[in-house]
Amino acid sequence: MTRLNLFLGTVTLTLAAVSLLWDPMALLTLPADVAQTILLELRVPRTILGMAVGATLGLTGAALQGLLRNPLASPDVLGTSTGAALGAVVASYYIGVGGSFGIAIGGMAGAIIALLLLILLAGRGASTATLVLAGVAVSALAGALTNLALSLAPSPFALYDILFWLLGSLADRSLDHVAIALPPMLLGCWLAWRGRSGLDALALDEDVATTLGVDVRRLRRDIVIGTGLAVGAGVAAAGAIGFVGLIVPHLVRPLVRHHPGAALIPSALAGAALLTAADLAVRVPINGQELKLGVLTALIGAPFFLHLILRGKAAS
Amino acid sequence: MPDCGFDLAAKSILSAMRRPLWLGTILLGLSAAAPQRVVSLNLCTDELALLLAPKGKLASVTVLAANPHETMLAGRAAGIPTNNGRMESVAALRPDLVLTGGFSNRYATELAARLGSSVIDIPPPASLEELRDNIRKIAQAVHNVELGERIVAALDADLGPIPASRQSAVLLSGGGYTVRANGLSAALLRHAGLEQMSFPGDRANIEQLITRPPEVIVITEYRAKQSSRYQSWLAHPALGKLPKSTRILHVDGRAWTCLGPPIGREIARLRARLRR
Repeated sequence: MTRLNLFLGTVTLTLAAVSLLWDPMALLTLPADVAQTILLELRVPRTILGMAVGATLGLTGAALQGLLRNPLASPDVLGTSTGAALGAVVASYYIGVGGSFGIAIGGMAGAIIALLLLILLAGRGASTATLVLAGVAVSALAGALTNLALSLAPSPFALYDILFWLLGSLADRSLDHVAIALPPMLLGCWLAWRGRSGLDALALDEDVATTLGVDVRRLRRDIVIGTGLAVGAGVAAAGAIGFVGLIVPHLVRPLVRHHPGAALIPSALAGAALLTAADLAVRVPINGQELKLGVLTALIGAPFFLHLILRGKAAS
Repeated sequence: MPDCGFDLAAKSILSAMRRPLWLGTILLGLSAAAPQRVVSLNLCTDELALLLAPKGKLASVTVLAANPHETMLAGRAAGIPTNNGRMESVAALRPDLVLTGGFSNRYATELAARLGSSVIDIPPPASLEELRDNIRKIAQAVHNVELGERIVAALDADLGPIPASRQSAVLLSGGGYTVRANGLSAALLRHAGLEQMSFPGDRANIEQLITRPPEVIVITEYRAKQSSRYQSWLAHPALGKLPKSTRILHVDGRAWTCLGPPIGREIARLRARLRR
């Protein structure tokens, strides 16, 4: 799939419609320097970012679900992605730390603050309803503040800039974006991953986990900061891509016998695969244009979210 | 084949049906007294009003008109009270003429009517003819017809004839946004000797630009020093790999926002740069 992603893009469309999916070598018909530029400067960064963002969302979604012991937890449902978006907007338009680096820093700070606010609002071991409500509240607050920031933005075109970015896309990203986003994503994922055994113990109960020697406070800190770093950098690079962090752990968990810690790496791999596949799908143009990646994942994810709620309702 | 009298009459009736507001405006201009308190609620009508309204008659323009980042005519707005683009913000001025920019809602129009103000709505021009019409509409409304005709003549002089031989081009702004190949911007580019290439959704992606490089890329600079994701798109390393045969020119983006009278001078400048 990764190989296909590298070879599939707008260029093949212009050569022949049939070559879109089934003639990945069409890129090689271009002059060598042009093909090299497209491959190395556009498609390699796009593919790396797609895999990294997907892995990040999958892994952090699984970690949050394990930490909060709640199947509806995920970075976007809990307002982390919205918080990252707010941080990026404030950094870009108000603090003036422009460029990809400043936006990434803003995104990470916004994501961490949103997660801390969520934990403060919902409390530890919150019920599903409380957690989702708190997530809705955090998300709504961050969304409202983003809209306020956009309303007061010095540039009238800031609204379009941010709105389209929030729809999520990996198009026209460069290796610079990869270089800026990848280190915090790796660090964030590592922080979450190193708590894998703690998550397994926490699945029993917080007291049991403490008895087993798990430093729950540290575990919570690592996952909150790790998720903030990883999701914040991912949102800054690719916009708000929803539902991957929610869906993927549910798909993976039965394969690892519902062990939260064991679900982390498979969730990362499945997230990477899912987002890479979604990015392939959005390259099939509608009216000559690429669909936004966040739109596609939401179209897939929203019914899945509804299915989870209905299944939970039936179970209760 | 020369038009017969019937055809001419039919064309004139059809034209009047297509432009009832314009006809109304002319009647207003001919019959009513010159407006004493003109307000504009849109940046693009601000530009027209700043050029055409007699001194002292322009009671308010939008806050954008006073911002040099937004319009080349900001200097003319100095000292004129500004509004936020809504009718409520200018109601206290009791304007006798309100200029709106094609996006006003009906409440603004109703409020203006209740206040006894005339409203002229000037949608963004889609063709050169509409651009000329817009200038004439405002000129009529502010009883400055002669100045309006002079501005139209200056615009046409700046634009000049369309060269027979034109280079392929992309008018590009941040984020890859470009313009329609059959729109007003493309028509203006033709006068500079450029033929705008077509892109789906009026948005170019970098792969398309690299594989189908135009002879000229005209980058409209708008708040270029302000960081934004749109601006960072223009700094993508792959754009630096465009062939040397592709000429990149940076132009003042403010003239391209409204496509008002200042665009004529910009086209003349662009044509001169292309000839160098």
